[in-house]
This record gives sequence, structure tokens and C-alpha cells, in this order.
Amino acid sequence: MFLSLSNLKFLVFTLGILSYASPAFAYLDPGTGSMLLQGLIAGIAVFTSVLSIYWQKVKSFFVKQKTDISTGTNKDIDT
Amino acid sequence: MNQNPGSFRDPFGYIYEQNDFIFRTILSPAIKQYEAIRDEGLIQESIEQGFLIESKELTSSTAPAELNEAEYVIKHKKIPFISYPYEWSFYQLKTAALHHLKFELFLLDRGALLRDASAYNIQFVGTKPIFIDLLSIAPYNEGDYWLGHRQFCEQFLNPLLLRSLKGITHFSWYRGNLEGISAIDLYKVMSLKDKLSWKLFLHVSMQARLNSSVISKPDEAEAKAKVRKPLPKSAYKALVNQLYSWIEKLEPKDKSKTVWGDYAKHNTYLDDEVKEKHEVIFNFSNQNKPTKLIDLGCNSGDYSITALQGGAASVIGYDFDSNAIDIAFKRSRAQQLPFLPLHLDAANPSPNQGWMQTERQGFKERAKADAVIALAFIHHLAIGKNIPLNQAIQWITDIAPSGLIEFVPKDDETVCHMLALREDIFVDYTEENFIKVLSEKNKILRATQVSLSGRKIFEFSRIY
Repeated sequence: MFLSLSNLKFLVFTLGILSYASPAFAYLDPGTGSMLLQGLIAGIAVFTSVLSIYWQKVKSFFVKQKTDISTGTNKDIDT
Repeated sequence: MNQNPGSFRDPFGYIYEQNDFIFRTILSPAIKQYEAIRDEGLIQESIEQGFLIESKELTSSTAPAELNEAEYVIKHKKIPFISYPYEWSFYQLKTAALHHLKFELFLLDRGALLRDASAYNIQFVGTKPIFIDLLSIAPYNEGDYWLGHRQFCEQFLNPLLLRSLKGITHFSWYRGNLEGISAIDLYKVMSLKDKLSWKLFLHVSMQARLNSSVISKPDEAEAKAKVRKPLPKSAYKALVNQLYSWIEKLEPKDKSKTVWGDYAKHNTYLDDEVKEKHEVIFNFSNQNKPTKLIDLGCNSGDYSITALQGGAASVIGYDFDSNAIDIAFKRSRAQQLPFLPLHLDAANPSPNQGWMQTERQGFKERAKADAVIALAFIHHLAIGKNIPLNQAIQWITDIAPSGLIEFVPKDDETVCHMLALREDIFVDYTEENFIKVLSEKNKILRATQVSLSGRKIFEFSRIY
């Protein structure tokens, strides 16, 4: 069985992030780890929503182009 | 009026008990939060939708005078039987987890959230989960984090994963650490294959990794956590939704293996004998009509259900076998029976524990009923665990003033198996001695032989 490139990348990334030392006693709020995780998720969510705005723009550009071809005009449909 | 010893953590309010009712105080730090959700009609709606326990706000004239320092007093009906997650079967813990997540989503859609995710905030009436902590509900503000995420993972997700991934039951670990199982600990028992799962990576590995970074570099972690990049509501909901659909699909890894699970199919009785046994239980239940009956060694619930059919209003079942109580729970839930099966190692029942050793009550303090049945049970204590017969009888009869105990003689096939590889040191284990000990504090009302091997069910009633 061969690993696909994306799986391999994920494997290397996972192994990298998961090799860490044993913890000692915690003096911070025990929820801090979860807060940091949600901070990361928040970052990703913002990033993906920005990305999706751009993606929508790109998509609509092509959709318009396609419509234009099918109608045989060069005019924007909205105008 | 006594303050519940388990209610001390949240300065927003405390719990008091009186007769069949619970009184919850709401103190000044919680007024704003409470009024906001109450005025939105959220408490009422949560009750109507079956998420939250019935709650009634009392007026200053109807509230108990001793609680007059509280801003508000809420009255709840007492849950008939309190149980803890370390006594719950896999499916019961799963049902509780899904109830919590569903409630969280319900609240998020209505501009509120749950401040924590303690499994102890969920109790069961029969197999129906109910959320009991009204003060956990708070208004949601845009960008809020899911504050209960870590607790949810430790108290629900990780114990379920332990069984689902490894086939290890959560009872002992959870009882040892009342907060559940940490991501760091669970991570250590995960295989490489487990670690490659995206969901495990996100909720266990990443959390373990980040928790470790918190410990090794606390200042840096604290500074980062304080930034609190706002979490979009869609991402909050996606987290909850993802956990919901994941947990919904979780099953125990060791589902097929069982100690007594298929006992009902492959036991050492003949069919007529089983019929006879059911009849004895039905008649006992029918004559006594107990409000609460405890079934020790309930297995998958066959006799508990017969007791309900006979007229018992509710049954709490106990068994050592995790698969048996899994089956019993599923069965009871499917038929919506007032039957709750729980895990019990009778030789080592739940102790009084937690803060001041009063936070969580032990088995003895809670397991009080109108009737008890212990069928095919006592030999597991007397011979399986070397517990003197008189102590085993005393322990069972302390639970309820009347009941049924089946005596399994040494000639019976099951006992023969138990003694096959060991010396018979149980000279006191005879029917004669059983009758003598049981008669010391109880009246024996009848004895019915239920097998050719000489098994007999004794009906007793405590002498006051």
C-alpha cells in the first residue's frame, strides 16, 4: 500500500507536532490548551472565510465569462 | 435545610435539599445572567423541549425563609436516583454526551451557551437524560469561546474513546479521577493509526500538545491565550456539530465479548426453570408494588423488566459486566422503561469521595429501595470473592426491607465451575446456613425451588 503525497505530508506533520516531552504540574488554568486550540480554529475560520470571499469572486468571474459566451454577448448580466 | 455537599464550586448559587425537593439559590453575581436567559424565555423553552429539569422560580413569600439571603430561589423536583458517570454504561455516557451537545446547539441558536460541560450536570430518569444545572446557561456574545470544550473532552469524549479505540472501560479510571480522562493521558495510549485520524488529532493530540506547551512555557501560553482572537459562531457550532456526529457513531470496541452478556441465551437453566423464575419475580413485584426496586446482578435486564411488568414503578439494575449493562441500557431506552442499569463491582462499590469525601455519595448512601432482588448473585460474592456468607446477606438485606435472594448450591453447574480449579474452603456455604443467617434479622416468607440442581429463591421481609 502506498501513501499518497497528501497523506505523507500529514503523517510527517503529525509526527513532528506529536513528539513532545512529558508535562510537569500545571499552574495555569487547565482550560488554557483548549483556549489556544480554539484560537487556532478562530484563525483558520477567519482565513477560510477570507479565502472563500476571494474564491466566490474568482468563481463568479468565471461563471459570468461562461454566461457571456453562452449568450453571445460581452455584457455583464447584472447591468 | 441541608446544603448539598456536592454544591460548592459555583459561587453563583448553591443547592439545598428538603423532602422531595431541591432548592437552588441564585446569588448576586448571577442575577444579570439569570435574568437575561429567563426574560428571553429560554428556561421555559429548555424545559418544554426536554433539555432542562423542571424549574420554578419562587416568590419571597413561597421561598423557604432560611434562604432569604438569595436573590432568587428556584425549586426543582428531586431526581429519583442520582448516578455518576463512573457508574454509567458506554451507551449511557454516550446518551449524556449527545444530550449535552444538543442542548448546547439549541442554546447557541437562541443566543445562549453552556458555561461548562460537567457530566455530573446530567442525571437520568429511567434512561432519559436531563440537564440539572440551570446556572450553567449564560448569554452568548459574538466571538465567545466554547469554555466547556476541555471539560467536555475529559468527561465525555475521552472516556468514550478509551472504550471505542481500546476496548477499555472507563469505570475505574473515571472513579479514580472524578474529572474524567485528560487529553495528555489518552494521547499516551493511542496507537499511530489512532493519531492519524483527523478528529482525534484535533480534539486529543492537538489539545494534549497545547496543554503540554502550556506547562512547559506557561508565560508564553498565557499571553497567547489572552489575545483571544474572536471565534466565529459558525466555527463554535461546527466544533459542537462535529463532536455530535462523531460521538453518535462511536461503539465499544469489545462489543461482542462478554462475561455474562449472553447469559439469557446460554445459561445453565432449562426453559421451564427460567419461566418459573420469572413467575416468582412477577408475583413478588405484583404483591409488593415497590416504588423503587434494586436488581443486583441485573445482567441484560430480563428480570428487571419482569419486575416492572409485575408492578414495580422503577428499577435500578446493577451489574459488573459492561456489555450486559450496555445491552440493558439500549433495551430500556428503546422501550422507554423506568429501568436504569448501572455498573457495580459489589465487592468494591462506589465510595463517598471527592472534596471532603462528601462531594459524590457512595453506593450505600444512595442505594436504598423498597425492594431488592439478587438472583444468581450471592455465589459470586461468597465464592467468587471469598466474602463470608453472613456479610453478603447483611449487605444485600441492608438495601431494602424486603426482597428475593436466590441461593445457588454447590452442586449447581455454575458453582462447580467456580470451584473446579480451587480448593473448596467454603464450609459455611450451605443452604442450611444461608437460611439461618437470613432468619436472624428477616422473616423468610417463602422459598421456591427454581432448578433441578436445587437453586432456590427466598423471599424475605425485614423484622423491625
